[in-house]
Amino acid sequence: MNVLTRKLIAKELHQHGWIVSTVTLVGLGSLLMATQGKMQFNIGLLVWLSTMIALGVILVLTGITNERKERSLLYVLSLPLSGGDYVHIKLAGLMACFGLAWLALSAAAVALVVLDADVPDGMLPYGILLCVYLLANFAVVLCAGLHIRAEGPMTAVVVVTNMGVTVFMFTVGATPALHDHMFGSAPVWNSAFWVTLAIELAVTAAALILPLLVAARRRDHL
Amino acid sequence: MNATKHIELRGVRKTFKFFSLEELSLDLEPGQIMGLVGPNGAGKSTTIRIAMGLVAPDAGEVRLLGHSLPEHQAVAKRDVGFVSEEMKLFPHASVGWHMDFTASIYPGWDAEYAAKLTKRFNLRREQTVKSLSSGEHMKALMLLTLARRPRLLVLDEPTTGLDPVARHELLSEFMDVLRDDSRSILFSSHNTADVERVSDRITFIDRGRLVDSRDKEEFLERWRRVQIQLPAGASAPQPAHVVGSVVDGQFVTLTTDHFSDEWLASVGAGVRAVQRMSLEEIFVASVFHHREARGE
Repeated sequence: MNVLTRKLIAKELHQHGWIVSTVTLVGLGSLLMATQGKMQFNIGLLVWLSTMIALGVILVLTGITNERKERSLLYVLSLPLSGGDYVHIKLAGLMACFGLAWLALSAAAVALVVLDADVPDGMLPYGILLCVYLLANFAVVLCAGLHIRAEGPMTAVVVVTNMGVTVFMFTVGATPALHDHMFGSAPVWNSAFWVTLAIELAVTAAALILPLLVAARRRDHL
Repeated sequence: MNATKHIELRGVRKTFKFFSLEELSLDLEPGQIMGLVGPNGAGKSTTIRIAMGLVAPDAGEVRLLGHSLPEHQAVAKRDVGFVSEEMKLFPHASVGWHMDFTASIYPGWDAEYAAKLTKRFNLRREQTVKSLSSGEHMKALMLLTLARRPRLLVLDEPTTGLDPVARHELLSEFMDVLRDDSRSILFSSHNTADVERVSDRITFIDRGRLVDSRDKEEFLERWRRVQIQLPAGASAPQPAHVVGSVVDGQFVTLTTDHFSDEWLASVGAGVRAVQRMSLEEIFVASVFHHREARGE
């Protein structure tokens, strides 16, 4: 990794540092609230979920879509890098920004399930699947941001992926192999968990590799 | 030994939905300031983006500082300062952040010159980019570019929208850059006055085609407007190399792009006035002549 690449990745962290820390603090606060009772748990979980989804969308919109719209992209591409380098930098920089908040908030969510006596430990597999789903969801939005130049289709991707979180929660949460153990006192790591996790990780990997194969090889980057 | 050309375009073609660049060939020699002049939508920005490797041509060859593009653009751009009227810095970062960022990337960053330009352009390091006026923004871009001391400056409409004082300041800085005769500038504009002031070579481009490219002095020496008074009943003379002719009663005004004493002699008697033409007049006449010749 050369100096310019490192600097531009650091720039992403510098530029988005405030939103990453705000979202992390709000998310941690919401998990703290979730320990205070049943209603607080529901509200806290909703806020935690919303902050993670919002962070992913904001990062892609400000880091890629707005940069193109506000014509800062021309400035970035005037620097000694290729269009392919730009795609690598965006993937690494924005993934690092999201990853920091995601790691903190996912770890805190896992800790909540493990440490809070009111939350059954059987929730742990579902909680982990939800966290990894949010990572995959961000990777898909990031992948779309690096390929789609028009605002309309990008907005559609954001709407569909947001809806996807609800669909995931209800479908995966209702899967008997997962649902039946959710309120148990011990987590059950069955094949349904591992298959779902593998699918999520595969989607994440595909969404992160696709830009390297397609967007990075574009001949025109403006 | 021939010095490496700073920009070489050979038979470049690029087609978009409503516009195409046709068989464009262009050379920028070290130490040269080339003005790329054309009306709005002529293809100046497309040409520059191709020359910078930002847009790949459909056909043809592009070399920047000897490096083949777009493949080796990252290496080539290390020594190229590119500024465009359409370019924007990061809106939420400060001028100082951009200066530090640029200094950390380019080993040639001249901190003393940067400080001098900051003062001369009346910029402040702590100003955020979004608080800058369009003129200040352009000055900030120029500061970041010039303080790197690049071998080649590529400027796409840098003076558009600037007030006369700001334009004067920027153009003076370009001239300073050229004190080192190994550096060169490609400067696009539809403002012929700016181009005439700084350039030593001019290229006219129109509707995606190269109309003419030669030294500025050659343009100014070859183009003339000649007014002739015809004797009663005589028809207008038809010397060679006339690109425009306007008849007003007994008076005929001929425009030529091949003016010389011999050409004037070929016009015959009756010449009342020979006028030099400004670059703008030459540009307009040249574009119309080119369009007429192509039947457009």
